[in-house]
Amino acid sequence: MMRARGLARLARSGYARGQWVYSSLGSGESAPLLLEHSSHFRNPLQSSREVLGCRVIYSWVSNAISTVGQQVQLQSSSAVEEQVDPFSLVADELSILADRLRSMVVAEVPKLASAAEYFFKLGVEGKRFRPTVLLLMATALDLPIQRQISEAAVNTLSSELRTRQQCIAEITEMIHVASLLHDDVLDDADTRRGIGSLNYVMGNKLAVLAGDFLLSRACVALASLKNTEVVSLLAKVVEHLVTGETMQMTTTSDQRCSMEYYMEKTYYKTASLISNSCKAIALLAGQTADVSNLAFEYGKNLGLAFQLIDDVLDFTGTSTSLGKGSLSDIRHGIVTAPILFAIEEFPELRLIVNQGFEKSSNVDRRTRELAAKHASLASAAIDALPENEDEVVQRSRRALVELTHLVITRTK
Amino acid sequence: MMSVRGLARLAKSRGRWVYSSLESAPLLLELPSHFRNPLQSSPQVLGCRVIYAWASNAFSTARQQADLRSSSAVEKQVDPFSVVADELSILADRLRSLVVADVPELASAAEYFFKLGVEGKRFRPTVLLLMATALDLPIQRQTSETAVNALSTELRTRQQCIAEITEMIHVASLLHDDVLDDADTRRGIGSLNYVMGNKLAVLAGNFLLSRAFLALASLKNTEVASLLAKVVDHLVTGEIMQMTTTSDQRCSMEYYMEKTYCKTASLISNSCKAVALLAGQSAEVSNLAFEYGKNLGLAFQLIDDVLDFTGTSTSLGKGSLSDIRHGIVTAPILFATEEFPELRVIVNQGFEKSSNVDRALEYLSMSSGIQRTRELAAKHASLASAAIDALPENEDEVVQRSRRALVELTHTVITRTK
Repeated sequence: MMRARGLARLARSGYARGQWVYSSLGSGESAPLLLEHSSHFRNPLQSSREVLGCRVIYSWVSNAISTVGQQVQLQSSSAVEEQVDPFSLVADELSILADRLRSMVVAEVPKLASAAEYFFKLGVEGKRFRPTVLLLMATALDLPIQRQISEAAVNTLSSELRTRQQCIAEITEMIHVASLLHDDVLDDADTRRGIGSLNYVMGNKLAVLAGDFLLSRACVALASLKNTEVVSLLAKVVEHLVTGETMQMTTTSDQRCSMEYYMEKTYYKTASLISNSCKAIALLAGQTADVSNLAFEYGKNLGLAFQLIDDVLDFTGTSTSLGKGSLSDIRHGIVTAPILFAIEEFPELRLIVNQGFEKSSNVDRRTRELAAKHASLASAAIDALPENEDEVVQRSRRALVELTHLVITRTK
Repeated sequence: MMSVRGLARLAKSRGRWVYSSLESAPLLLELPSHFRNPLQSSPQVLGCRVIYAWASNAFSTARQQADLRSSSAVEKQVDPFSVVADELSILADRLRSLVVADVPELASAAEYFFKLGVEGKRFRPTVLLLMATALDLPIQRQTSETAVNALSTELRTRQQCIAEITEMIHVASLLHDDVLDDADTRRGIGSLNYVMGNKLAVLAGNFLLSRAFLALASLKNTEVASLLAKVVDHLVTGEIMQMTTTSDQRCSMEYYMEKTYCKTASLISNSCKAVALLAGQSAEVSNLAFEYGKNLGLAFQLIDDVLDFTGTSTSLGKGSLSDIRHGIVTAPILFATEEFPELRVIVNQGFEKSSNVDRALEYLSMSSGIQRTRELAAKHASLASAAIDALPENEDEVVQRSRRALVELTHTVITRTK
């Protein structure tokens, strides 16, 4: 689950509009630093305005692994680049989406609606990472405004496009939740997202049916966009989710120890959804193939980085030591990147893969390095997007870049 | 399950022969000169040989008729399934290639019901291919012949694609239904969930759905895409309706027909309409195609309900009774509750106790439930037939034959005994 922990910033004091940015942090296991208006701030790392021309403050709230620390970026260029909190940037829009999704999900049959809604209820829905990325991407890809068209026309077009892009975000969530519902049935997991999962609470059959329900509504919404290329993309996503899950179920022992196989599986299970829906956003916006591919690359690398850190956190949790995480992957016999790296150092580990590992010190680092590499590929994709002077667009792009940092520095 | 029993015919003078696959001992038909059927009519009298063979025990009220037509414009009965048999095997091959997966276990699961011998009767693709031909627009004489041929082939391929998509969606829904019903068998073999587990069955169903949509996208027709997306929605809705009925709904004929539309008829009706749309037909004609599919599907299911009670015999309780044992209340029972309100009480109690099943059967036999269901089925069958008759005139022999085949299906659907 994605949380923006360990990061809270104040916007620059020089920022004329007086906005301030507050990161909503997850239920604090450790106490986050609450930032209010700049005048109340007490962080020791405060730098004087006079020196920098801005205050950029970071706070640490997590114990990071020694080789990966938070970096304090002190930007001193005159074109000050504000850091943004990606999640709050789209918070309002997200709640509109959540409402729309909830009402779309209300079927004629109440029993099933509550089953599907189960996962959309606040508090269970996680950070809504995927829709956040997609909405930011939508803004980031806004084409420069055509000046000759009347403003009303532009507004109508933009809001119609925006609605369609929001629809992609909704479809993506439905597909994602449907796959979770079906995975839960299959894995006999008794918790998912911290509370009793659907199949435990309501029975396997209803879980299968609820997943089917979401998938079918996603199909209808998809068809309603009247864009067959987008239909192809998201159909492929469903195929990939199934492929990834099957790969995970049916690995041979050789494949289990193969980093290549693991990355392919990870692409299918995690990154494909984000990458292809980012691309779909771009296509709906009428972007070129080049730009659509950049969006794809962003989503793909962000997703991979996200999963790799997920793997690390499963071992480390919020502490610096190994074995303090939930260890649920390894307990389910799922071999992830850190183990795979460890196997390269300790071939004997291959034989005792189920007993976990103890001595290896570098695996965590190597996995984080790989995650960082993907995160910077994602960031590069955003930087490669065509120039756009618009302030709102630029802010969304900064938010997307910010996400690539958050994904790898999170501790939960 | 649909089978064309009791029907085998010889084709007309061109010397083609038509062989229907039958479950009971079929009469093997070879070329006319070797024929030995006692019903043989001399060529001089008829101008052609048209022979029928019985192979099934039909209900007394429904018998195969030996049609000795003596009009000069001979209207030949057609066996719908054999008309499209060759094309169906092309489709089967293509379907197998469409569901190939890289991961071995997924591949086995996905292709499970597309293998030779277990494709089922392929009722839906048969209807769709016949509909495609039946809706052929008259040939434009000014266009060059090669252009027409190329266009027709391309259109035909696209319509075949609809048939393939329909089969994928259909099988996907079967896979999930079997998981939901804990079914052991399907199409005469172990169900996929029984053989490979619920997990793989659910995943394979999703996989087939995704492949269906990929194929759908390739047609680049957004209206057709919407139609088939709607079908998927209806299939799930129908299943939900079946699993979550209130007691009022369970005794409601209206609810039952709506559920039946969702579960059975929607797929056929909307895919027939899709075939019409691809052919560039008008909204009116597309709706006729829709109506045909819808009424055919409803008739089919109603007879299915009857057969679950009667099986191949005339008496009740000789069918598999699987519906009622699964607590699924179908049309015959619903009609019976109208005559015997006390049956309603039993229905609400459910059918876990076999004593309730027995009592329900008693009431059913006293009622006209079976009869009324058959009548309703016949009504829908003739609505389907009427839709075909309402299609725009087309002189072409091939088109006419397909239309006759479609009409023939409306008869077969209600006279079948299995």
